[in-house]
Amino acid sequence: MSKNPTIPEGYDIQREQMLNFKVPEQLLKVLDEDGRSDDKNFILTTVDEVFNWARLSSIWPVTFGLACCAIEMMAASATRYDIDRFGAGAFRATPRQADLMIVSGTVTAKMATRLKLIYDQMPEPKWVIAMGSCAIGGGPYFKYGYHVVKGVDFLVPVDVYVPGCPPRPEVLLEGLMRLQDKIRGRKGKFITPKWITDYAKKIPYRK
Amino acid sequence: MAIENIKTTNGWADQDHVPGIKSELLELNMGPQHPATHGVLRLVLHTDGEIVYKVTPVMGYLHRCAEKIAEGVNYKQWVVYTDRFDYLSPMTCNHAYVTALEKVMQQEVPERAEHIRIVVSELSRMASHLIALATFGLDMGAWTPLLYCFREREVILDLLERISGGRMLYNYMVPGGVRYDIPKDNWASDVIEFITMIENKKLDDYNNLLSYNKIFIGRLANVAVIDEKTAYDYGCTGPVLRGAGVNFDCRKDDPYSLYHKFDFDIPVGKGEMGTVGDCWDRYIVRVREIEQSCRIIRQALESLPEGPYSAIELKKIVKAPAGAAYSRVESSKGELGHYIISDGGQTAFRNKVRSPSFCNLQVIEKVGVGQMVSDLVALIGSLDIVLGEIDR
Amino acid sequence: MDQKEIYELLAEKLGAAALGFNDEGVEAFADVEPGGIADACTFLRDDGRLAFDQLMCLSGIDWDGYDENGKGKSVKILGYTDEGQPETSDRVGEGDFGVVYSLYSHSLRHKFTLRVRTPRTTASVPTVSKIWSTAAWHEREAWDLVGINFEGHADLRRILLEEHWVGHPLRKDYQMPSQWENVPLNGQPYNENPFPKPEPTPDPTPDQPSGDDPAEG
Repeated sequence: MSKNPTIPEGYDIQREQMLNFKVPEQLLKVLDEDGRSDDKNFILTTVDEVFNWARLSSIWPVTFGLACCAIEMMAASATRYDIDRFGAGAFRATPRQADLMIVSGTVTAKMATRLKLIYDQMPEPKWVIAMGSCAIGGGPYFKYGYHVVKGVDFLVPVDVYVPGCPPRPEVLLEGLMRLQDKIRGRKGKFITPKWITDYAKKIPYRK
Repeated sequence: MAIENIKTTNGWADQDHVPGIKSELLELNMGPQHPATHGVLRLVLHTDGEIVYKVTPVMGYLHRCAEKIAEGVNYKQWVVYTDRFDYLSPMTCNHAYVTALEKVMQQEVPERAEHIRIVVSELSRMASHLIALATFGLDMGAWTPLLYCFREREVILDLLERISGGRMLYNYMVPGGVRYDIPKDNWASDVIEFITMIENKKLDDYNNLLSYNKIFIGRLANVAVIDEKTAYDYGCTGPVLRGAGVNFDCRKDDPYSLYHKFDFDIPVGKGEMGTVGDCWDRYIVRVREIEQSCRIIRQALESLPEGPYSAIELKKIVKAPAGAAYSRVESSKGELGHYIISDGGQTAFRNKVRSPSFCNLQVIEKVGVGQMVSDLVALIGSLDIVLGEIDR
Repeated sequence: MDQKEIYELLAEKLGAAALGFNDEGVEAFADVEPGGIADACTFLRDDGRLAFDQLMCLSGIDWDGYDENGKGKSVKILGYTDEGQPETSDRVGEGDFGVVYSLYSHSLRHKFTLRVRTPRTTASVPTVSKIWSTAAWHEREAWDLVGINFEGHADLRRILLEEHWVGHPLRKDYQMPSQWENVPLNGQPYNENPFPKPEPTPDPTPDQPSGDDPAEG
């Protein structure tokens, strides 16, 4: 066929692969032969699992960007490292509607009382991520900083410490995933079943 | 405070006062944690709900004692702290400090290092202006420019990561040169490709989307006018001064480094959409400066000479002879200067940082009076302040 | 205009208050008595030949312990130790305070530097905020960090630190605070293992019968 510059190379081969793709067996068990789902729609789980899953999938942070780490937090919510795919994209300006406080930046003595005020205004359950070395332990201002609180854990209880100066957005997302593991109640990484990873590898995608 | 006693010269205040009715003012707090104040800045407003009668900025929520640290650590070690002043364009802050230190040390810098410094400073300036446009649009209610500008900024951050190792804060310059040379993996051609894309495609996108948008213009034209006399009096520099119609840029009028070799224009506000010195003028000055930065980068990379990239080896101890000097640099926010007093050792005796946002912010006390609260947000956005600089 | 010519015009106007001109270093500066600084700045701004319309920078300095020989042996400042406790010392500060004014003229494109010294006991300099409005905040910062009082300033209060902070941090004898109004400012020493695993508590032996169990009989 004529070389149309808007159609990328290998498009026709990929199209064949996509049309010939078949769903694996384990997923087919959930659907019957007409492709409709099984009539007995029961899910067996515990209330804790469901509540924790709901909480971790839509964990809304409060905008608490203090210094340079705030820019990396904004970059994490921009297009390249999208934080919204973890459910945490809705940054609330008011702490009363938020359940996560990402302390990004240096906490000074003047700001400490306001930080405690914002933390107290957040309703339970709430979590705190200490982002950046200033929030973890004073950062580069450890030795001569007379106005710097040497770590936000002197003020509020911290759940996850994300190191870096500033941490890359991917590291912040890893910290967010560790927090999600903590909420889920399972220590360590969530192990994906092998058939899901095999299935995911075979899905063709457009270049 | 009764409203009859307030004398305002601009804004809506005189239309709002109904004679015979006594009203009181609220003292509201646009607190340190606020989505529209560009950082931890607190504004104490005396307002009747819509019009602002008195604005008092309260800062210091990010005071990180950098000037005290300068008296404790070495000259080379302190470059790390300069990044944290204007964390949106950290290379210009590095450049300001090493320029001032080299003036005190009377140190020569090789030409190749100067060219590299200019290229990375201009890239940082572009990154900072992109964020200025993005957050300004966000303050006015436009969501899309934020995503577009951050996408472009990510490419700049990739380029700067390849040369310096850090994504956002670099610690890249040393007195006497730069820390690393240009990487050999086609860095220069990637930069030229990027700025070609910006010049040809992206700036038109931003102008169509935001700059000449009717709502944007309606929001910003004739709002919060800073005229030339106010700007001189309050020591405003940078796009705030150029938006007021004054053709002054440290790169052209007080040249440092090798800027006198390159050919570029200084965009100046002309009052195209309203009065000279309104918010739109300051905004469009930044958009046009991105274009001029592209020109400078192209000229600097095409004429890059061979040679050493640092006059002092990295391990050598840096000592400055006794003396004092003030030297300034055009950072993306304005004139960033250092007054360094040295006593002959490895540590500064006093290092005073003259930050542009500190001086630009003072203008709010005069120009913010009589504005509506939303116009105050536009004013703060157009001043483009960075709290790391103000509080140091 | 040359720095020397500017100084000559200034000395002519000030008379005795102009103390001297020093152009041996990298940047030339003029020493002025504190009492005459306001007149000096008004003259520098208003005179047509000088026209210094921008105050670039106003720096407050504590000259305590400055090494006059230029060997780098100035007094060291006090910080926090590696364990996070503030360093202490009995040394009392001596030496003058100083203010440096860096001026620039947009129309004539020249710069000038003025220096003022005031003894530690009085620490008082007239304000220039009536001349250049930008000096208002710079002087507040000099008061805040160094402790120099500016007479005639409309609103001299702290700008970067809290209103009721004690001490002026940029002085050379300032000791770091341990806490400020219950906000802890000390650090923690470096800890190899900040989250140690807790010892497993030994289970009570399960074989012992509890007295009130009906199955035991």
